[in-house]
Amino acid sequence: MSSGLAALALACLVIGLAIRTWQIVLLALPPIIFLALGSLFPPATPNILGVRSLSRDRVAVSADVDVEVVVRNEGPALDLVEILDVLPRSFIVVRGTNHAVVTMEAGATVPLAYTVRSPIKGDFRLGPLRVRSLDPLALGTEDAIVPLESRLVVAPAMEDLRHVQLQPRHTRPWFGQVPSRRIGVGTDFWAVREYVPGDDVRRMNWKVTARFDRLYSNEYEGERSGDVVIVVDARREAFVGTESDNPVEHGVRAALAIAEHVLASKNRVGLIVQRDVLDWVPPAFGRKQLYRILDHLTHVRPGGEWAFAHVAWVLSRFFPRDCLVVVISPLQDRASLSSLLGLAARGFDLAIVSPSPLAIEWRLGNPRPERVTANRILEMERANLIAQLRRVAQVVDWDPATPLSLALRRMGTWPRPT
Amino acid sequence: MRAAPLTTLAALALWAVSDALVIGGGRGSVLVLESLAFGIAALVAAAAFRWTWVRPVGLGAVVIAYGAAHVFFLGVQLLPALVFLVVLICHVELRILEGRFAPLFESALASTDLERIQGALGRAILRLAFAAVLAVIVPMLAANLALSGVVPLTTVPTALFLAGALVVVVLAIALLPRMEQKPSERIPGSSPLHKG
Repeated sequence: MSSGLAALALACLVIGLAIRTWQIVLLALPPIIFLALGSLFPPATPNILGVRSLSRDRVAVSADVDVEVVVRNEGPALDLVEILDVLPRSFIVVRGTNHAVVTMEAGATVPLAYTVRSPIKGDFRLGPLRVRSLDPLALGTEDAIVPLESRLVVAPAMEDLRHVQLQPRHTRPWFGQVPSRRIGVGTDFWAVREYVPGDDVRRMNWKVTARFDRLYSNEYEGERSGDVVIVVDARREAFVGTESDNPVEHGVRAALAIAEHVLASKNRVGLIVQRDVLDWVPPAFGRKQLYRILDHLTHVRPGGEWAFAHVAWVLSRFFPRDCLVVVISPLQDRASLSSLLGLAARGFDLAIVSPSPLAIEWRLGNPRPERVTANRILEMERANLIAQLRRVAQVVDWDPATPLSLALRRMGTWPRPT
Repeated sequence: MRAAPLTTLAALALWAVSDALVIGGGRGSVLVLESLAFGIAALVAAAAFRWTWVRPVGLGAVVIAYGAAHVFFLGVQLLPALVFLVVLICHVELRILEGRFAPLFESALASTDLERIQGALGRAILRLAFAAVLAVIVPMLAANLALSGVVPLTTVPTALFLAGALVVVVLAIALLPRMEQKPSERIPGSSPLHKG
């Protein structure tokens, strides 16, 4: 603005002198007066202190967080000062404002109270606080950044899979809730055998004992636990759609729900994430493992181009061979088909949950005739790929607009027993 | 808040159009009207399609058309020209204020926040009005002084001296804020914001 005014004044001056018209020379004065008034009262350098407090530092996606920032002017009086609490791009301010233009006397405090919501998960930093002091005519500015940062972890939403039958087929020697097809400690009747000393009296089968006049005991099917490894495909090509509605975000949500469900059934769960780096969490039991997985999933961002063959290598090298591998992928990479077939051949139990990128894309645009045709062709290609995968794995083609539990429940016991 | 810059812009455009229509027929008036039509079309396009970079072009075309109409056809009258120029400067100032304040008034604010922001806006408007009045009165006084013969403006050396002095003042005023902004005076951790 000040350079524009200076240029205008000079132009009036030059033109006025060139054509020898004194009125035009005088027209140079108004811009000069504006510039002079601005320069007489230059903006003071802001010396600001700020304190930010959050109602919570860990929330679920789409949950509200109240933020309060108190700004104190430690320097001279600021005639017109613009304060902006910098927020991550994806955040939505639902109440109040993170931006104010006010007048601040020396030592005055200004509170900024607002409520934010994040539609996507992640580990976010709020801040810094940007302050801009303006002169009375907003011609000049003095800027300062108050290095005030707060951390806010937005975890993916947890989906309820209580009524889904999802359990590993192969079991380990630890007690759990998966019928092991072996005699052991459990509740399901398995067989009757002759009594041997040391058998619990409560396990005696009195009817059979009375009929054959010899002591008989019941045997039960042992309930044990198994291993499940969840593989999340968060590669760049898996990102289709918007920041909040894309297969990676939905895949992360599904991975967390499956991990929670499987861990609650006393099984071990591991995690592999294909993103910029290939990171993994070795299988373990319990709530601590759930938090470990949640922490990894919170930081998942689409990126990287790791081939699925690398995942297959990690699986065969660091994870138990007879575990159930749940692959969560939009199946955009046709080259992964051979790797998945290879995994099945090596004895891994495979199950695939595929958040449909076609369903997401379809919701984004208008149904024009050429789009309908293109979508139909892509759907046929996808159906063909899924049909090939169904030879070795159980595949759930999931439209993320529907609840995951519904998609899994339609499949019955999952993966299907052989 | 949103209407203020639009109102001043409409006033400027209407003023330029009415002056251009006074010129009458001839090739010159067609050129002025063409420039005006181009400027107004550019301003409308900038508003409709949110092409912010087109707005200065449109505004420039309107100002050039007004200037050309007066310099070449109608003659320069000091008071209307001063008012036109001040309204032009006020329009740009109001647009800057609109960019800063209008989004605040559109968000749901507490009454205390609203009062604080309205206070700052009131002070900004008051200063702008003061500067605008001063920008009209001072040149008028200068003109009266010059015409009454107090200052011998008619000699070539005086004209050259005054022109040189004006150039120095303009440059000094334009560069002063940048020269004062020394790194040692900045608070730790401060850095330039994006100019918006």
